Amino acid sequence: MRQGRNTKRKAGRTAECPLPKPFQDLAPYLAWSLPTERERSAKRQASTMAEITAFYQAMLPRMEEVLPYLAQFSPENTPADVKSLFFLTLSLAEVAPAVENFGQPSVVEGYDIARFIPVHD
Amino acid sequence: MAAVAPVSHHNKWHDRYPELGTKPIPIEPYISREYFEKERERIFSKVWLNIGRVEQIPQPGNYFVKDLAVCHTSILVVRGKDGAVRAFHNMCSHRGNQLVWDKQGTCQLFACKFHGWTYALDGSLRHITDEDNFFGLKKETLGMTPVAVDTWEGFIFINVDPNPKETLAEYLGEIGTGITGYPFDEVSVTCFSWQTDLKANWKVIKDSFQEVYHISTLHRRTVGNVFAGRSNAYSHALDFTLFPRHGRISLFGNADRQPTAVESLAQRYGSMLVKHDFSVEKMPKGVNPTRDPSWSVDGNILFPNCLIYVSEGTYLTHILWPLAENRTWWEVRVYYPKATTLAQRFSQEYSKIIFRDLLMEDGSTMERTQSMLGSGAKQEIQLQDEELLVRQHHKVTETYLNA
Repeated sequence: MRQGRNTKRKAGRTAECPLPKPFQDLAPYLAWSLPTERERSAKRQASTMAEITAFYQAMLPRMEEVLPYLAQFSPENTPADVKSLFFLTLSLAEVAPAVENFGQPSVVEGYDIARFIPVHD
Repeated sequence: MAAVAPVSHHNKWHDRYPELGTKPIPIEPYISREYFEKERERIFSKVWLNIGRVEQIPQPGNYFVKDLAVCHTSILVVRGKDGAVRAFHNMCSHRGNQLVWDKQGTCQLFACKFHGWTYALDGSLRHITDEDNFFGLKKETLGMTPVAVDTWEGFIFINVDPNPKETLAEYLGEIGTGITGYPFDEVSVTCFSWQTDLKANWKVIKDSFQEVYHISTLHRRTVGNVFAGRSNAYSHALDFTLFPRHGRISLFGNADRQPTAVESLAQRYGSMLVKHDFSVEKMPKGVNPTRDPSWSVDGNILFPNCLIYVSEGTYLTHILWPLAENRTWWEVRVYYPKATTLAQRFSQEYSKIIFRDLLMEDGSTMERTQSMLGSGAKQEIQLQDEELLVRQHHKVTETYLNA
């Protein structure tokens, strides 16, 4: 009986349901669901503007639903699927300046971001 | 149609502080090794330096290590069993090995990796391996060498002068009392921090963050229109107040600014629920000192190397550690209250990322500036009225070096 319950709980966290149900349309962008700034920053720098823009344009219109949904959860004890969605929004924050300010992945004429070490990750 | 600005000498801040003069200042302090060594000896070895915050060591037994190359030492800061914060030179009394090799941690005793001498959290020597084989050692005289330490609003300051000439409170003076009461403890719960080894003199970095004249040019892609607007095209400060060594700049924020799409989301979902009341009447006198409704942020520039920018619901620090006349270990920390929801955490992330990216605009500029300062092609830099703090720093430094 206990084993059955465990299996049922585990199934909720498998690849079949990586994002909360209302946001499964964002599943093609799961590669952007990264837990640390270092990883998100590296992905932004390694992506083309076309890839960044595609992700940005997929996320932005959904954010009016995503953010009220995430506002229900505290940073502690977040379910895995909610966490995946949350990390997508952090990547949106990471790429936003590339789209909205620079028109390119890196800061225009900026310092090498790889030298600016995030201690908080 | 744009109005033509009258040709005039606008020097209202320099009028307030005529003793500073209005002449250019020399480049030599930014490139000279000899000057660097004098700064080390006559400033960094004598004054109170901010090396951390109490949130880093909340529990007894917590410690962190701060390497201070500029003071030729490494400092161990530890929360004792009695709850007190103590600081020591990170050095074993036996043959001088560095006692603690990691950056932070928790323990009950510090054991030297070389021969196993062991120290308590209060710095006293507890155990000498093979003690009987020594010649009349007095353990009680062989504790870790203490370093003067004190805290202000949760900031931990040390002074490596064995006999500091003044207390921390005396050193901070009015700039400290002016912002005491800002809710540092509530806003320090979340800290995002970056560090880098930058190829520029520490004063080149400091200068970048003690004037806003560059914002509408260098940061035109990021925050150019945050600190400038139709009523204030050149980001003129709301106020400059100079103290004998420290200085404060109070900045205008452009209310007419249109946020970007993601920024707008961050603003709407980022309301920060904190216990403290951030309304201007409740803020200490030194925060938004002119009580201007267009206020955005104040820079509290603590001599020599610690800049504390306070704003509504967030603050940040720059701490600059000289490594050489043309190299600096630059530490940036942005603090936010605890995010109670993931939406608020997203909001903090956006704010932190756009800030980080604007620092990248400064970073490349500072290295290029340093590379040309070292050319010898020019001997002076020219300063305008809003670059008052650059001038003040130079004057205060000269006072220390010529003492």
